Order: sequence, then structure tokens, then C-alpha cells
Amino acid sequence: MRRVGRAWLGICLAMALAGCSARPDGGAPAAPASPADAARFLTQATFGPTDASIAAVRSGSYADWIDQQIAMPLQAESHLAFMERRLPELRAANPGAQLTANEFYGSFWNQAVGAPDQLRQRMKLALSEIFVVSLADPNVDERGAASYYDMLGANAFGNFRTLLEQVSLHPTMGVYLTWLANQKEDGVRHPDENYAREVMQLMTIGLYQLNPDGTRRLDANGQAIPTYGSDDISGLAKVFTGYSWYAANPTNTVTFFGRGLAPEAQVRSMIAYPIYHSTSAKTFLGTTIPANPTPNPAGDLRVALDTLFNHPNTGPFISRQLIQRLVTSNPSPAYVARVAAVFANNGAGVRGDMAMVVKAILLDAEARNAPAASDVTYGKLREPVVRMTNWARAFGAMSTSGNWTINSTSANTSLNQSALTSPSVFNFWRPGYSPPNTRMGAAGLVAPEFQVVDEVTVAGYLNTIQTAIDSGAGRDVRATYPAETEMAVDPRALADRVNLLLMSGQMSPRLRDRITTTVGAVAIPANGTAAQIATARLNRVKLAVFMTMASPEYLAQR
Amino acid sequence: MTSAIDRRHVLRLGGALSMLGAGAPFALQLAAAGQAAGQAAPDYKALVCVFLFGGNDGHNTVLATDPDTWGRYTTARNAGQDPIALMPPGAAPVAVGQVSPVTGRTVAALNQPEAWGGVLPITPLTAQPIPPGTNAASRTFALHPFMGALTPLFQARRLAVVANVGSLVAPITKAQYLARTVPTPASLFSHNDQQSIWQASAAEGAQTGWGGRMGDLLATQNGASSLFTAVSTAGNAVFLSGQSVIQYQLSTAAQPAAVISGAQGASLFGSTAAPAQVRELIQETGQLNLAADYAGVTTRSLSATTTVNTAFSQAVVTGVAAPPAYTNPITGAVETNTLALQLQTVARMVAAGPSLGLRRQVFFVSLGGWDTHDFQNTSQPNLLNKVAHALAYFDTALSNIGGVDRRAEVTAFTASDFSRGFATNGDGTDHAWGNHHFVLGGAVRGGDIYGQYPTLGVDAGGFNNPDMTNGALIPTTSVDQYAATLGAWFGVAPAALAAIFPRLGNFARPNLGFV
Repeated sequence: MRRVGRAWLGICLAMALAGCSARPDGGAPAAPASPADAARFLTQATFGPTDASIAAVRSGSYADWIDQQIAMPLQAESHLAFMERRLPELRAANPGAQLTANEFYGSFWNQAVGAPDQLRQRMKLALSEIFVVSLADPNVDERGAASYYDMLGANAFGNFRTLLEQVSLHPTMGVYLTWLANQKEDGVRHPDENYAREVMQLMTIGLYQLNPDGTRRLDANGQAIPTYGSDDISGLAKVFTGYSWYAANPTNTVTFFGRGLAPEAQVRSMIAYPIYHSTSAKTFLGTTIPANPTPNPAGDLRVALDTLFNHPNTGPFISRQLIQRLVTSNPSPAYVARVAAVFANNGAGVRGDMAMVVKAILLDAEARNAPAASDVTYGKLREPVVRMTNWARAFGAMSTSGNWTINSTSANTSLNQSALTSPSVFNFWRPGYSPPNTRMGAAGLVAPEFQVVDEVTVAGYLNTIQTAIDSGAGRDVRATYPAETEMAVDPRALADRVNLLLMSGQMSPRLRDRITTTVGAVAIPANGTAAQIATARLNRVKLAVFMTMASPEYLAQR
Repeated sequence: MTSAIDRRHVLRLGGALSMLGAGAPFALQLAAAGQAAGQAAPDYKALVCVFLFGGNDGHNTVLATDPDTWGRYTTARNAGQDPIALMPPGAAPVAVGQVSPVTGRTVAALNQPEAWGGVLPITPLTAQPIPPGTNAASRTFALHPFMGALTPLFQARRLAVVANVGSLVAPITKAQYLARTVPTPASLFSHNDQQSIWQASAAEGAQTGWGGRMGDLLATQNGASSLFTAVSTAGNAVFLSGQSVIQYQLSTAAQPAAVISGAQGASLFGSTAAPAQVRELIQETGQLNLAADYAGVTTRSLSATTTVNTAFSQAVVTGVAAPPAYTNPITGAVETNTLALQLQTVARMVAAGPSLGLRRQVFFVSLGGWDTHDFQNTSQPNLLNKVAHALAYFDTALSNIGGVDRRAEVTAFTASDFSRGFATNGDGTDHAWGNHHFVLGGAVRGGDIYGQYPTLGVDAGGFNNPDMTNGALIPTTSVDQYAATLGAWFGVAPAALAAIFPRLGNFARPNLGFV
């Protein structure tokens, strides 16, 4: 494999089990040696480095910063609360106004850009791309989606088993993957199999049996071994029956079918309606729940989720995808194995401790050591929405209205991505996507985010970020670049600052030269008015930021 | 060609001749026969893949209406809290608040099949054989009530149905499937994998698709415009990737090649020198793979902008009519039919083709939302209506490209992850396998159903359906056969087809003759 040159990587298992809080026995530095190191860490762990966050990371070790982040409380105003505040505001202007996805996007940008609990924020987005629900589905309620995103944040550093249960029982997931109001089999009619299938394929175990390092196990003929078959699907589908909307006084004839609900139904966990729950035997993944004369929805669900949680695939399956979301598209099997080992046991005998999993991901030598120049395949393509937050955070962009009304960025002439709005449960991109006719594809490597890259979307991103840099995102979230305009007289200083905040100091000399030359050619009129001078300085800043963010080397996060 | 195809062809030719009337001179009849056989090779051909993402429920798209089949259909689907069984041919739409004479239920809202009226009969030119287990003297067929825009195309013989197509390694019987004695494709019933298998004959991770592979062989005919050999309006699709052919993306805007204003404008942030610098830097490949790969897409984008947008400003292109307004039949709301907009862009590209020197193009358009595990009565009718609306629009648009009927040069076909289970899950259907598909175009031998329309019905009470397992149709026609038939029309030689579809040799008929 590509990264075997780093022989010391294998040592990190013990380090990972210990939480990597001490010395870098595996070869990973415990603390940043420079602002650039801190910025690189923050690029992986947050929605983008800032002066303040670089200083915070530099004040101690990486582990200290992570611990502080994990200890931070949830935002005082949840996404749901943001939306419920916005509704009366919208109705003050237009009495017939309804919440739309745009209010959720406002809340997303608000927290992603501005909230101090950045690690949780970044984890929320990562988790939302594994446990996918989508506002693209007209059946998904906007408050429900906001509540779902809140739930992902609340569980970001909890236990995976709890996360899996809260995902499964959230009414937004119930609606999106259609198991809400799913009924037990009856004659020719069988239960809806959607959630049973996708919770296995996408959220826990995947299609093929895995080794602890995330590689596929192979049979005697060299073939991958499926984790489940159709019978497992139909067996598990019977478990996911007999749950529907929350109601204070649930009824099998009214609230089960979604009538007579209070608004809280959209945001509270689904509840059991036992008469609709299958009582027949349920066999899946080697587990059998015997037929039961009395419906036992909660008990059956517990067995099913325990089975998925304890499956040997779940640790490597989830660990690899989280690494891909934060650090690199093609982690070495050893890196996956180290993180999966922490998933299996946090050092205190607990499986599924997500705080320790994310810590293991970010403190691993393969994350913390800057890749060698010769390692041309390391890293990941930056997600479109993260590029936007990267800009907004680096330069302190603020919402003019206070409501972060960037609105949908889903169009292919925009960012081709809005949070919680993927085209299907298969996310914006697949973890195994390998772009055809590319270097990555030819090398047999994956580059998931390339699934949304085409001749139109490359232009969409550039035009969108140019507008944001110039006049603000959605004409609302604007940067004034006070620190940068100060240093605009010195193009090299300006380039260095942009390099630190956007590229963790990794800018190539060639790009830096191009920027300093081009920026330097924007004349600052010696005898101009104050306004002319300010405009010229600001143009220099905008040009430096745009040229950086337009560069392929920026887009390839390392 | 097989005798069955010959028979269809003769029938069709006979139809053309009879239109001349019995009194037409024999020489004129011979001349007409030459024309009807289409001997003059057209200098342009396009294949258009219409991908229905999510897995369309074919059982409510193309239906068999003989009493025996209809009875089993009704048993399986007129059940659950929100029955999805369609109404029989001839049933009148029932108004909200009225009682259906068919089901005895009161129509509560427009998302109830009773409100839509009966399925719409279509009569194939060739009688379908009666499959084992079906007790009927003859088989009759129909389309979903909201696919009315397609029935004239079927009658005009520009639309064909191909029955029970699915991903296969080799022909397989139910007994072989259950005993696992014949291999089947990987990850049946999994969306992403079956999408990939339909497009590229291999599960997710495949690097080339059959549209792109055909493009590889024919791209040289496009000369300097070979960049536009494989065109998508629906994002990246492995279908369009070849060994050398790379897909090119168009937006559905009037100027479909997106302009990068920072690189292609006159000035940027007060600098007239900056756009040229940006233009260079965004194409910098450098050493890093991810950066180089991204720059490669940007370079293709930049290189084509002017060419495409200039070509699309010609009168023959701007003259392609926009799709008519679309109304959701369930809600009554006017909606954007994104599939029709994509096909408009394809029609414009066809119109622009001659000026660009294009001779062979493969297109990919798509419509999502077909994963109807629930609320099928709300979503699928609207989706099928959109398909019918879009295909009928496409047929009309191509009939008059700058005054020329170019329908014979363009063949569109549907594809989808899989079909859905035969029995309801209460208000929807789950993942299954074999499916029915449409092929549209002036070169299509339409008005017919190709392949074997299967026996329908779930196993119960001693009935053992030879064509279904656990509610999923076992395909009797492989995707490879379907695709190779299209490829043969497109101009791909038999040996090349065998290379593109290595499993084609496992099937008796590499060409189904529908085009």
C-alpha cells in the first residue's frame, strides 16, 4: 500500500487506546510546532481556521484542544429554536409565510461559521453524510430536519449505540427511509424493507465483510463475502414495524397514521404502536428473535440495534468514512485499524465511544504528520460547503441580516451542495467513488467528493465563491477584511496571511509568486483619494483570496 | 435476425405499403420498400439514456390486463392501508367524495388510483406468447393512466416496450436462482450497485460504462468535436465514461456551457490582467493528484465554453421549442419537469450537431425520486406523467429541427436501478429486479413489446410463478442484450459489442431487433 513507508504507524494502536493525550509514541506531534500546523489541524477538525482558533490550538496540545471542544455545551439556540424564532419573523412580513429549507440553511451557516464548538459542528456535517436524511425529499419536514441535525450534534461525542438508536427513531429518518408507520406483515403484504436495507448497507455494516482494517475479507476464490442477503433484509424489516409519530395520547386509528398530531411529533422520537408490530420470528445476521405471542417492539429493536452495533464491520466501516470526511480519502488500512480499535474499545472497555473515535482520527500520525511532497495521493477534495465556511471563518464574514440568508446552494451553477440536502440516501458522494479518467482513478484510489465535480460545477463554485468574496454570500454574509486590507500594501505579507488561513502554509512557491505579482500589479494610487486607496487595497485582498481559493492546490486539502 | 424480427419487419413494411393503396404501381411499391428499409445511412446518430434513479415500479407502468393476470395483480396490490392497484381498462375516473364501482371505496383525495381512471390499453403488433402459469387465451396490455402521452407514440410505432429486462450474468431459471447454480450479478437489490451494473456492467466502482465504451469506438467520427461525444445533463454517470472518452456536462440554461467569470471576464477586482492569471492558475495540474484531476475538469470546461455557447446561439438551436407547461396530476400544481428541460438541451445539442461536425453522441439524462417505498400513489403517478410528458415533448421537438424531422437519428431508452416487488408493503413497494422499459425514436420498430412479458403473481396456494422469486421478476432479457441492440443500431460492430459486453455470448440473441 501507498503509505507503508511510515513504518511507525503500526505502533499507534496502544497510543490510540490511551487517547493519544500524551507523547507521540507513534510519531505524531502532540502539539503544533507552528501556526501552520495548527491551521492544518483546524482544517481537518473545524469549518476552517481563524486567528483565534489557531491561537487556541497553540496554547496547548492537540488533545487539550479536542478535550475542550468535547466539553463545550451545545449551542444555546438549537437549529430547531433558530427556525422557530424565524417563523414569526417571516410571518410579520408575510402572514402566510411557512418555514422552508432556507431557514435550516440559515441555521446551518450560522453555527458552522460562528459557533465555538467547532469540532461538534464539523462532526455534525460528517455524520449527516453517513446517516443521511434530505430536505430534497418533499416529505421531510423542515423543523424535523433541524431537530435531526440537532440530534446528530447532541450525539457527536456520545456512544454510537445511542446515536444509532436516536437516528433510527427520529421521525425525520422514519419519514425519509419510510419506516414510520410501517406495519407488520399481513397476507400478501409484507413490511417495508427500506430502513432494514439502508441501515445495514449505509449506516452500520456495509455490503461486504470487512477485516478490522476496513479492507474486504475474501473467500477461497478471492471474492468479497456479502454481509447479508435478501432473507436478512426481510427478517430485519419485521423488526422495524409498529413505530410511528409521537403523540401524548397515541391511538392506533388516528395518530399512528399521522393525523391529529401536535407540532412536537415532528421532533420527538417515534413511539411504539404494538398492534402494528410483527410478532413472528425474525432472523437476520445470524440472530433470531423467536416468535412472540405479545408484540415487543422495544425489545426487538434493542436486539436488532445491538446486533448491528456489535457487528465486526461497524467499527471499521464507520471509522473509515469519518476519516474520509475529515482527513483523507484513502486512509491506510493501518490508520483505519487504529481508529476501529478505539471504536471497539475506548481503553475502558467501552465500545462505540465516539469522542474517543474522533480523537483517534485527529491525533493519528497519519492525520498529524504533514504528508511528504512525494505522497501525491494524500488528502481529500474539500467539500463545497466547507470551502464557503473556510472563507467566512478566515475573514470573519458576518450575516448582515443576522439570519444567514445564503439560501440553497444546491444548484450545479452554485456549490452543488447544501447541508442535509443530498439527492438520495447515498449522500452527495459515495465513499467508494473513484473518478474515471483521472490520476486517482488510474491509481485505483477513491476521491468521493469528485462525484459532484463536472464542467458546470467547477464554474459554479468559482463564480459563487467570487461573488461571496466580493459582495457576500447570498448578499448577506459579508467580509470586510480589516486585517488583510491593512497589509495589502505588501503583497507578500498578504499572500502569507491568506496562505496560513486557507492553505495551512502549504501554498506552492509558484502560486504564491503568481498571486504576489498579480496583486502587486493592482495599483494603489499614490495621490488618490482615501476612497480610491481603500478600494485598491480591498481589490488586492479580494484578488489574493480568490486566486487562492480558485487554485487546484487549495481544493486538494492536505 | 431471427424470424420473429423478420416477421415484425415485414408487418411494418406491409403497413407502409398498404398506405400506398392497392392501385399503386409495382415500381412505386418497390421504391417505397427501399425507403422503408432505411437504406440511406444517416450521418448522425444519438443514443439517449433516460435514467430513472431509485428503481421504477414497472408493475404499475406496463401492465398485462388479461383476466387471469389482472386477478393476481389485484390480489397483490389492492391491499394495505393505501392500496396501489391501478384500475382496469375502461374504468372512469371517480371524483373525490364518490364511491368507486371497482373497489367500493370512497375516493378521499386525488392520490388514489380510483381517481385516475383505468389503465390505458396498448396493442402490440405481435401477439405475446402466453407464459407458463398464465391461463389466458391471449394477452392484452396497458400503460399507467398518466402515460397517455405515450400511447400515440406507441401507435405511431416510434415507441417500443422491452419486457422484463434486468441485470444478468447468464440466462437463469427460478430453480437455478434458488439453488444458486447460475451466477447472478453482485449486490442485486442494492441501488448504487444496480445503477452501476445497468450503466457499466459492474457494481459500484466501475470505471467505464457502455455508453462511453461505444463512444471510444466512434469518437473519431466527431473530429475536432470529440469532446462532445458523451454528454450529460445530470451530473457524473459512469455510463458515459470510456477508456478515452470523458463525459462532458451541460447545464440546462440557454447558454449551457457555464462561464467562469473570474477567468473569462474582461477584468477581475479592478485588474484587467488578473483573468488571464486566473485562467492559467485554475488549470495548473502541479504534482498532487487531486489538484491535477480537478484542474483537468476545469480545463475541459474552459476549452468548450465558447464553442458550445456559440453553437447554441444559432437559429436552428434557439428554434427548438421549450417544453410545454407541466402540471402535477395529483396536486394540480404547475411544476418544472426537469427531465423535459434536460431533453430540450439534448434536442438543442442534436440541432447544433451538424455545425460542430458531430456524427455520434451518447447522452445521459435522469429523473430521481422513484424509490417509492411509501406514498407511491402520490409520487409515482407524477413521475410517470413527467416521463410521458418529456418523451412526447422530445419526439415533437426532434420532428422539427430547423424544418427537418430528425427523429430517426435519435434513439432514447429508459433505464432504472431495478423494478419493485409485486406485492404492496402497505403504501409502496420494495426493491426487486427485472423491469419493463421504453425505447423511443424514429428508427425504433415500435408499437410492439419485445422480450417475454412474464407471468405475474406471488407464490400462494400452490401457484408457483416461474418468473418471480419473493415478488421480484427474474429477468428474461439481460441489460447486455438491451444495450447491445441499441449499440448495433448506433453502429458498433458485433465483435466490438462482444468486447463491450463480455457476457453477451451467454445469451442466445445478441440483438432483440427493436431498433
